[in-house]
Amino acid sequence: MMNNSRSEIISTMTGLFYPYILLLGFYVILNGHISPGGGFQGGAVLASVFISRYLVDPEKCVRIKILQTAEKLLFLAIILFAVLIGISKVMIFNSLTPVVYLIIMNSLIGIKVCCGLTIIFFRYVFYEGGI
Amino acid sequence: MTEKIFLIGLIILAIFAVNTRHLRRAIIYLGIFSLVSSLVYLFYGSPDVAIAEAVIGSTITTVLFLVSFKKSRVFIIYYANADFNSSDSRKTIKARGQILKSIEKFLIDHEFEPQLIMTTKSYELILASEVFDLLVYQDNAQLLITGPDEYHLDGIETFLKDKSFKDLEICFGRCVEYEEFRS
Repeated sequence: MMNNSRSEIISTMTGLFYPYILLLGFYVILNGHISPGGGFQGGAVLASVFISRYLVDPEKCVRIKILQTAEKLLFLAIILFAVLIGISKVMIFNSLTPVVYLIIMNSLIGIKVCCGLTIIFFRYVFYEGGI
Repeated sequence: MTEKIFLIGLIILAIFAVNTRHLRRAIIYLGIFSLVSSLVYLFYGSPDVAIAEAVIGSTITTVLFLVSFKKSRVFIIYYANADFNSSDSRKTIKARGQILKSIEKFLIDHEFEPQLIMTTKSYELILASEVFDLLVYQDNAQLLITGPDEYHLDGIETFLKDKSFKDLEICFGRCVEYEEFRS
């Protein structure tokens, strides 16, 4: 059943669109402080790259263990970064401009959301229930 | 004005999604629904929510639903014809349409998703090599219906007995040999 549903057209077109979806995702993340979008939306766009890769070849599994540790580390990094910036704002006034802070925070959140959504999807596909 | 048209469209799509008989179509309608609703968000001046809705609502949720749909119960029907030179004749097509339509109706009533595969392979080859839940084999006016699962076969038999097909001789086989059917 899995093999019948694979279509040549879909896999070729998805392969062509990969770089553009990636570019859009990074654009949405990095321009989050000016234009609509931000960490969450850009991360979801990046996760859709992994999910469409499942449509291209369903047998290929991503390494969920690595993604899980990366997600945990990023979660810690987000909290630590915000706390450290808060402390340094008190001690050394105006050390970091808000724009840089927003960009770093947005990209951290974006990568974390991408990891999280990819883990949810692949865990559901490969480990829940029988096919 | 434009957003009102899209809002009406949303209601129509929602009704479509609820009322379709095929589950797969309902999933696709839901995908279109979230795409249109993201457009409506854009008209109301919140592009942030629109991006989130477009990505999550119409991409990730649709793919997730399709995957879980694939994991659900799919009923594979194989259809083969004895003499596929005559498979274009009007009588054969009519009989095929009647029988397959009523089998599909039975499956949809029992919440299966019928998947019909038409093949030119011979009867023995299908039995030996393919994985199927139901095999419909037609030889002019004679029909053989067989399958590995007796429970569903009984249900289909009682369902088809109630409807009378004229000029059709339906034979239900539980692992019946081909020669028996021929004779």
